Amino acid sequence: MEPTPWDPEGATWVLDADGDLADGSAAVGLDVRNYYKALVAARCLDVRLSRMNLPMFASSAGEEAPLCATALVARDEDWIYPGVRDIAVSLTRGLGPDELARRVMSDGPGRVGQAALRIASPTAALGMHLAIAAGHAHGQRLAGTHAVTFALLGEGTTTAGVFHETLVAAAARDLPLVLVCRSQLWPSGAPAEAGLVGDSVADRARGCGIWERRVDGADPIAVWAATAVAAARARDGKGPSLVEVATTQLIHDPPAHRDPLERLRRHLDRTGQWTSTYQDVIEAEIRGQLDRAFAYGTEVA
Amino acid sequence: MNVTESMSLALADLLRDDPRRVLLGEDVVTGGMLGWSRAAADDEALRPRLVPLPLLPVSLPAHAGGLALAGLRPIVLLSTAFALLEGLAGLREIGLWAGRSGGERTAPVLFVAPCGAGFGLGDESVEALESVLARLHGLQVYSVGRAEDAVARLVGAATFEHAEDPTVLLVPRMVLAAAAPDDASNAGSLAATSRVREGRTLTVFTWGEALEPVLAACDDGALDATVVEIGRLAPLDRDAIVEAARDTGRVAIVHAGSVGHGLGAEIAALVAEHALYYLDAPVLRVGGDDGVHAAADELRSLPAQGRIAAALGELANP
Repeated sequence: MEPTPWDPEGATWVLDADGDLADGSAAVGLDVRNYYKALVAARCLDVRLSRMNLPMFASSAGEEAPLCATALVARDEDWIYPGVRDIAVSLTRGLGPDELARRVMSDGPGRVGQAALRIASPTAALGMHLAIAAGHAHGQRLAGTHAVTFALLGEGTTTAGVFHETLVAAAARDLPLVLVCRSQLWPSGAPAEAGLVGDSVADRARGCGIWERRVDGADPIAVWAATAVAAARARDGKGPSLVEVATTQLIHDPPAHRDPLERLRRHLDRTGQWTSTYQDVIEAEIRGQLDRAFAYGTEVA
Repeated sequence: MNVTESMSLALADLLRDDPRRVLLGEDVVTGGMLGWSRAAADDEALRPRLVPLPLLPVSLPAHAGGLALAGLRPIVLLSTAFALLEGLAGLREIGLWAGRSGGERTAPVLFVAPCGAGFGLGDESVEALESVLARLHGLQVYSVGRAEDAVARLVGAATFEHAEDPTVLLVPRMVLAAAAPDDASNAGSLAATSRVREGRTLTVFTWGEALEPVLAACDDGALDATVVEIGRLAPLDRDAIVEAARDTGRVAIVHAGSVGHGLGAEIAALVAEHALYYLDAPVLRVGGDDGVHAAADELRSLPAQGRIAAALGELANP
């Protein structure tokens, strides 16, 4: 299939637009059906929250792959520092819908951290969670553990000075820090204020001496594989990394193959692992849980 | 030995006492700009816990907070308290951390920061930075007033005697350059307020480098004054302040830097709210000159002993 203006340039992929896996080794160690369920749950949560007209909420539909992949790659002993839009990380990592709803209703959708799950609370200061995450990774390294710290960000945050300082600190001390950056694609050209200076965020990270990969966010397997490699490097003491994920927001109404859920669904369909009944069952399950949780959360709030 | 050297020895002992402690700073491996980490750098066993970092003006407090969340007890050695203004947003975040829901832990980080006049830095001494820091939630702010208290405050702050919160210890440069007493104890002591002089006519609240000239002015003028050193600038020990104000009915607040929007205003408001009917005179504030001072004139940012003596004399004998 020919690339469309919606497909990112210079971004790695392994799952083509039709859902054919070009490199089977990329998915070794990945439970693809479990990953698909996590992506569907994240989408259902996004739809649920979008309908609630919450203040300061922005939809992440179309950008779920880096959120779910990070939560799946992270081990129990690792910490995740999400940004304010990354609530789906908590859902995938195991925060129950009831507790999640309670936190959304009391603290807002951007404030859902949980120390017991090693998910940090997002900071109010833009990008400051990256610096705390770097310090946390530093502490893990000094303590001699093999734990990894993950921090999530969007390309808009990369104009903040604290992003650059985080890269420099991570490179200087070889920190076990994995930065997962979503870069939104602008098929008709990004506005100057989008913060996309230079060719890519990954290039800027490389300029600071950081190992990086730029992958297509519409390909969930490529996103998972790059994140898993970055985490393995950090665990082995090989230092920090940045995974840039070129994503397409569904609010821009892109072609269907730019939707990571649809791309992975096509793959499951082609490999005989998907039926419409399966889809109905997993959607009904998570929707029922979220409806019950938020109905109760709205009552008590 | 001066105060800087005695603090350097105490910092090395603090590292020996608790393996979770690390010293952070750009040049910490070579002793630091002030020499605070020199004694630790001279001890081979401690050297792995001297953690040099590139200059991180915006993110250093947040980075140190992350280290604390990972279980360490970082001590950040700053070359100036004004570095905290550059990292203020991160300092605010780690102060808020304990109050965030989700079961977050506190971030016990100690920042040791020289402040005020004394090294010929000019205008840096005017602003009385403590009033900015004191307003941040979840932050403990201490100051050192006399040379003999420097090590006790440092040890008390580093052991988080009062609370395992992010803590700032402000050490006036005038104190750093002073001679350290030979018999100073290494035991930590972090009194929120200390009544360092007892009298019946007036009460003087003071802290930092203003303490010594206040004591000298009271002695020289034979004033019957109670002098209360505010060792913990945030959170304030409200009860002790109100009680000391009620004891005499005449209150003066003396501190370095200009008085506008300073911590003295908060203390004056406390006295107005809780001790107004005990007062025999308006509350008096005495500070240094406002404005930008040339390096050679930096001492103008401190309240001179003569100015303090005149003001306190007027308050005691109207």
